[in-house]
Amino acid sequence: MKLMNALAALTLLTAPGALYAADQGVTDNEILLGEVEPLTGPPALLGVAHNLGVRLALAEVNANGGIGGRQVKLVAEDDGYVTSRTIQSVRKLVGVDKVFALTALSGSGQALAAMPVVKGIGIPAMVPIGPLPPLYEPPNNNIFVVGQSYTEGMRQLALYLAKTYPGKKWGVILQDDDYGKSLATGLAEAGKEAQIDVVYETKYARGQKDFASEMLRVKDAGVEVLIAGGIISENIAMVKEAEKLGIDPVIATFWPGRVPEVLKAIGPASDGIYSVDYVVPLQSEAGKAFLELASKYLTEDEVKRVNRYTMTGYSSTVALLDAMKNCAEDLTWACTIEKMQNDAAVDTGVMSPIKFGPDNRFSNSKVTVMRADYDTLSYVPVD
Amino acid sequence: MSYLVNLLASGLAVGAVYGLIAMSFAIIYKSTGLLNFAQGEMAMITAYVAWSISTSVDGNPFIVAAGSILFAIVFALAVERIAIRPMMNEPILSQIMVTIGLSVIFRSLVILVWDGLPHGMGIPAGDALVTLGDVRVRVAQIGVILFLFAAIVAMWAFFRYSRFGVAMRAVASDDGTAQLMGVNSGKVQMAAWGAAAVLSGVAGVLFAIGAELSPSLYALGLKAFPATILGGLDAIIGSAVGGLVVGITENLVGGYLSSGLKEVAGFVIIILILMIRPYGLFGEKRIERL
Repeated sequence: MKLMNALAALTLLTAPGALYAADQGVTDNEILLGEVEPLTGPPALLGVAHNLGVRLALAEVNANGGIGGRQVKLVAEDDGYVTSRTIQSVRKLVGVDKVFALTALSGSGQALAAMPVVKGIGIPAMVPIGPLPPLYEPPNNNIFVVGQSYTEGMRQLALYLAKTYPGKKWGVILQDDDYGKSLATGLAEAGKEAQIDVVYETKYARGQKDFASEMLRVKDAGVEVLIAGGIISENIAMVKEAEKLGIDPVIATFWPGRVPEVLKAIGPASDGIYSVDYVVPLQSEAGKAFLELASKYLTEDEVKRVNRYTMTGYSSTVALLDAMKNCAEDLTWACTIEKMQNDAAVDTGVMSPIKFGPDNRFSNSKVTVMRADYDTLSYVPVD
Repeated sequence: MSYLVNLLASGLAVGAVYGLIAMSFAIIYKSTGLLNFAQGEMAMITAYVAWSISTSVDGNPFIVAAGSILFAIVFALAVERIAIRPMMNEPILSQIMVTIGLSVIFRSLVILVWDGLPHGMGIPAGDALVTLGDVRVRVAQIGVILFLFAAIVAMWAFFRYSRFGVAMRAVASDDGTAQLMGVNSGKVQMAAWGAAAVLSGVAGVLFAIGAELSPSLYALGLKAFPATILGGLDAIIGSAVGGLVVGITENLVGGYLSSGLKEVAGFVIIILILMIRPYGLFGEKRIERL
């Protein structure tokens, strides 16, 4: 009997979409959502903040009567940023917890790996972290990607810098993975539209902590504009090395590390660093309003952990909940997907309105170039 | 010339960090025959405690140093007593698996107790810049190099001249016989864990001052372990040299060749040396009688 039960459970966890109900996770009083994200290990920086954003969106909708009178609840699975665990967690959420929709599929690499499984099941799924083109090109019926591609973000950042600092020598330090490749593509595209004279370019292995030799080469090459293409720790190390060597190039970083803690960890040398993002800075008016909303529904300690990932998680979940609300009488996967693609744009105030279409599963959000202000540990839009 | 000198200085600084953690691996191995795969994580936790102390005392370096060293010792003794001592007579593979389990627990503990965000250590005295000729370094980098050399001298003297040091070597060589000769192997194990935790903890704190504190700090242990193999698993001073070799090689390769080769350069050197000396640069060849 035990063997039969085990086999049945195994079948449930490994079978394709046929075994899942299109309205699962919905009862008379409750709707269950699920998500996978890194809640432990170094990437918890984004996972924990993202989870706060999703919970904020749910708390807000529940405080306003829920969806069709049903309260919305969340099951969050920690994958530790490990791809195999992402897939395992998706299967568990859909097969065992029976969630109605997924609010996140962890980071870009994890979402890519989980994509065939999610696509096969057909459950509505949001991807608000790491919007890589293969996730939405070609569009997958049930997978909705919120944000902007690294490539386009880099292109716009590079064009801004080329226009603002013409005729300068550029240095580029990139990670040797898909993230680095996306930035390199964006830079190459910008290079077709503006003159970018790269005098030093290198790739480093993911996880590298010491950037002394790279920054010495930056100094030796006379770099005046530096693209610090690390995620978080790497950029901190690069800027601190520049400070140590007494060089002062214009430094540009990217949105994964655009959090106040990075500026604080670097110290005064972080003042003036450029970045680009598709969500507003926390210290902007819209950012302050977001923090006020967060204070209403989250604890004091949780509000301290709010960052840009909270905004992306919140916005993406609001878009999903909005579609679900419009299906309240007939809450099925098909209806939710149909509303997601056909409904009007959803404006959360912290990023450009989110809009999908019949052949479009990517929000293609507007990016803004911004500059760090160390005194207030914030960023100020410049374009 | 200035370029080369700067590369060597940076290599020496990061190599000293690897060297101190490598020495920690070797101390425990030499004294107990065990490989502690949680050494990098223990360094990370000491650095986080140092940060907590620093934020409470406005970055006073003396209080931070005293507090973190004290913590490192107490923490290591607790780990040894709770998790390692009960495994003392179990197969070595089981003991190693316990240290791997501890490493995973410690990584999660950092997120639970602190957070996943990057932080500056908030110790201005250590973060300050000093110019020595053509080279600009942080005080913490000078500190880690000096500490490494002090640790090398102290370890050499300890194992060579002190009765306890000789007892530690005896336990490593033959635990059973050492116990029959009256050596308290439990005390030896405690001392080894305490000393190792102080060396790796100081390395973690000084590295974090110059760079940043984040949950990825444990990765220093991954870089230091090959340095231990290079120097010789049972060679404490050799492990320190191994760390310096790895650090300097990485920086020279990164400076003259490519960053892409930087991370593998140290390993290429290790493979080459191990092909010639399988027991490491300074390790002792074990002869087993049949």
